[in-house]
Formats: sequence, structure tokens, C-alpha cells
Amino acid sequence: MLAESIEEITAPKKAKRRIGWMLGTAWISVLSFCALFAYQLPFITKYDEKIKIADRARAYGLGPSARAWLGTDKSSFDVLSRCVYGARLTLLIGVGATIMGLFLGGLIGILGGYFRGRVDRVVSIIVDSLLALPPLLLALLIVYRLDDLKLTIWFWRITRPWEITITLGILSIAPLARITRAQTIALREREFVLSARSLGAKNSRIILRELLPNLMPTMLTVAFTGLGILIAAEGALAFLGLGVERPQTWGRLINIARDDLDIAAWATLFPCLFLLLTVISFNIIGDHIGRRFDIREATL
Amino acid sequence: MVLMRLGLNAPGDPARTMLGGTVSQELIDKITLQYHLDSNLISQYWYWLKGIIWDRDFGYSVQQNISVFTYMQPKILVTFFLGIYSLIWGLIIAVPVAVYQAYKRDSRFDKAGNLFSFFFISVPALVFSPFIIYIFVAKLKWFPRIGEKIYPWDDLAAHFQNFFLPVVVLSLPTAAVFARLLRSDMIATLQSDFITLANAKGVSPQRTLWVHALRNSLFSVLTSVGVQIGSLIGGALVVEQYFNMKGMGFLLISTILSKDLFVVQSLSAILVASVVFANLGIDLMYTVIDPRIRHARALL
Repeated sequence: MLAESIEEITAPKKAKRRIGWMLGTAWISVLSFCALFAYQLPFITKYDEKIKIADRARAYGLGPSARAWLGTDKSSFDVLSRCVYGARLTLLIGVGATIMGLFLGGLIGILGGYFRGRVDRVVSIIVDSLLALPPLLLALLIVYRLDDLKLTIWFWRITRPWEITITLGILSIAPLARITRAQTIALREREFVLSARSLGAKNSRIILRELLPNLMPTMLTVAFTGLGILIAAEGALAFLGLGVERPQTWGRLINIARDDLDIAAWATLFPCLFLLLTVISFNIIGDHIGRRFDIREATL
Repeated sequence: MVLMRLGLNAPGDPARTMLGGTVSQELIDKITLQYHLDSNLISQYWYWLKGIIWDRDFGYSVQQNISVFTYMQPKILVTFFLGIYSLIWGLIIAVPVAVYQAYKRDSRFDKAGNLFSFFFISVPALVFSPFIIYIFVAKLKWFPRIGEKIYPWDDLAAHFQNFFLPVVVLSLPTAAVFARLLRSDMIATLQSDFITLANAKGVSPQRTLWVHALRNSLFSVLTSVGVQIGSLIGGALVVEQYFNMKGMGFLLISTILSKDLFVVQSLSAILVASVVFANLGIDLMYTVIDPRIRHARALL
């Protein structure tokens, strides 16, 4: 009886929230679909194909129109196709960096939270010093440094996209490690861990089979919200001139076109819109997962 | 309390050491005896730090052929104003909104406020500024694109005119974060016993709200000011590019791209130091807000 009435009260709120969630996931799926099949889809112009008016390529020749849905940019490329091809790389970098952050951040977070003591202190120092730096500053310095090193690991040349992925991965370590550590500390005192230990389970088994499944929802929430932030950070890096040359990502598109905002607003505003929608969608998804599993955000 | 202060202070040193390691190696071909560039990285960094402390000598800008200190000074002021204004405006906007939201919980105002704060938390400065520029500079022409007189002692009106839009871009997301935290804290505080007591003994609702409840709800906001300074610096890097303000971010990008190492190193150290000291100041402010913390330290 009581449960039903509570559900009735919260039902309309939930419905409203679900709309946001549906729009968010829809945007992400459409974008990923277009990005994946950019070469096959007929309405997306090829990356290097210029849109010509009376056989001449003119800067900002077309506004948003039937031929170029979102207009053309300074070198008369289709803005839509540039955005979609940019999304290919941006999404890849974002996801790659998040996976790296999940793996490394989760690892040191669990280790610190589970073993405590000296391990925990080392983990805390790493996390604190990563958090002490303004994130974008740290990103700039790491990209700059990696760029200078020109690393080659065996036969794997670290190119610009990889540099940025590694940098953003390092950035996402700290928040993930912090939240996994806090959660692990709370979980390791619980009865099921105690019972597993009294049955004689090894540390590795407790971590992998008992703790990790319980940590997953929290980590995923933070990872999805972080994905939005990382994509914005990638945009900022590209905007500041430390991005990928080809394909141009959103940040670079914005940077190229922003001086001509008065005459051709579409070339700046549409990449912005792509970035904005993507970031908001990932935030909504993260928020939704968080509510689903009822996670209180310990860190912002 | 002591532990927390240590936790916040500790990052300064490893972080700065890391910065020294990341940026100072390339100058080796320009070995100067003055800066001990033939010694190893750590002692290089040590000599550089000693130079700052004893002689206020931040090093020498290779490109500009002047000392880093004279090169940086005007730029630091620009970013300083930008950051301070944004923080203050963020608080001015956030506090009344959040207090009213918590007071009229689940009202229409509360819901709209939540929606706005979610939106502004998600919007990166990279996306927000072109829209602002497009509307207020390109279309309405209310503000100039570039302003020359940027110091308040030169021309106060022009100073505020130039800083208005960048501060709007930076302060709204900051305000959104503050409002969100303050709202949830206020709601928790308003349910506690001493508020009931205050109401019962006939304190006016306004006084209860603004004096009794607000003071006890300020902790998370205060903590997040420290975190926000970091992201404000990141935002300032982008915003300065958009609004053509020659601030620290502008300088940092140009020196990173032209590999002017002492400037990069000095700027990073100053930014990190400001974040660390701001956090120290915030820790000290806790005792002002809540005298209990001052006494609790004796127990630790």
C-alpha cells in the first residue's frame, strides 16, 4: 500500500526525467551511427569534397541549405560532414581515455581502499597531486611534453590522437580513483566481504568477485559524466591549437571559424551545438545511471 | 582538520617538482650558467625556485628577450581580475537562488533552478562563449569585440564593459555548481532541530533562513570554491582566446606553442601555487564559519 502510493507520487517526475534520458541516448546513438558509417551514408559529403557554387569554391559560400545542411566553412567544406568526421575521432578519443581512466583509476582506487596503510598513502598522494593542478593546464603540459618526446614503444608510434587519449586518460584517473577508493573503504567492512574472507577467499578473489561487481555502478556513473567532460576537454585542447590535424575535431572547427562569426555564424555555432549536445547527453546518461543505482555524488 | 590541511598542502611539492621535470629539459642547448642548466632536473628546478624566492627572478624569456617577471606581470593581472570577478559573481548569483530554492522546495522556481543549474554545469566555456559573442557582440552590438583599456585605473567604465561578457561566461557555470551544492545542503540543514527551535522561539523566517541556516550550509560550497578555481583557470584559458584578452591563458598557449620554457614553467608554478594557497585559505575559513572546528583541533 505504502510502496504503491510512493510510486504514484514519484511517477510523473520519473516520466519527465525519462524524456531527457531518451533524448540524450537518441542523440548519442544517432551521432555514433553517423560517425561509424560516415563513408557509407549518402547524405554525408566526403571529407575532402568541396562544395562548389557555379564551379567555384568560395569561403562560406553556402549557408544552411538543401545542398549543405549546415552550410559550408571557410575552405568550402560541408560543415555537417566535417562535424561527423570530427565526431569519429572525438568519440574514439573520449571512450579510449575513459577506458584507460577506468582501468588505471579503478585499479589504484581499489588497491588503496582495500589494502589501506602504506599503499593507501601512495595512492592518496598520486590522486591529490593530480587534483592540485588545474585540469586543462595539466592536459596542456602533458600533451606538450609527450609531443616533445616523440615516443616509440616497440613498433607503436605515439601519434597525436594517442597523445591526447593518454593525456585525457591521465586526467580521468584522479576522480575515478578517489570515488572507487571511498566506495571500497565502505564496502570492505561489509558482512559479505567478511564472510568471503572467513571462507578462506584470497585477496584477489575478494577484489575481483566480491568488490568489483559492487563498484561497477559507481564507476560507470562517474565514467559517463567524465566522458562528457573529457570530450569538452578534447575540444578545448583542439581549440587551443594542440589538437589533431586530420580529421579536424570540433574544437579546431570552432577555432578556425570563430573570427568570422559576424558573416558566417553557422560554421562556428553548429560544431558548438554538436559538442554541447554530446556533453549534455553524456551528463544526462551519467545522471540517470547514478539515480538508478542511487549513488550520492561524493565528488563534483 | 590538520590531516585535511596536510592533504591539501602536500600536492604542492610533488606537483611542482613534476612540472619542473616536465618542462625544463629542452633548454639544454641554451645552457646558461646562471640557471644551472647543466645540472640534473631536480637541482635545476631547485635553483630556479631559489631564484624566485631570493631575487624574484622567474627566469628569462628567450623569445621576448626580457625577464619573465616583467613579461608576465600585466597578464597576471588580467586573469586575476577575471577569476576574482567570476568567483564573486558566481557566489552572488548562487546564494540567493539556492536559498530560495531550498526554502520553496519542489516549487516551480526550484525545478526551473535545477534545470538551469544542470544545463550550466554541462555547458563548457568553449561552447558558451561563441553563442554569447554571436548574440551580444555580432548581432546586438552591445559590447566591443576587443577592448584596449583593460585596467580599472585607466578607465573604469571600459574595464567593466570589457570584462562583462567573459565574466558572464565563466561565472554562470560556477554559480550553477555552487547553487546545486548549497541547495542540497540547505535542505538538509532546514530539517535539523535547531531550525525548529529558532522557529519556535519566534525568530523571523528570513533571519532563520539567512543567518541560522545559511551559515551552517556553507561548507560544501566553500570546499568547492577550491575545486572551482582550478576549472575557472581552465575556462579562463579558453575565454581569453575568444575575447582576445591578453591574460595568462593567452600567454601560456603562445609560449607553449613557441616553446618558451621559463615562461611556461613560471606560469604553471604560479597557477598551481595560487590553487594550493586558495585551498589553504579556505581551510582557514572553515574555522571562521564554524567555531567547533577550531576547538576540535585540540582533540586530534
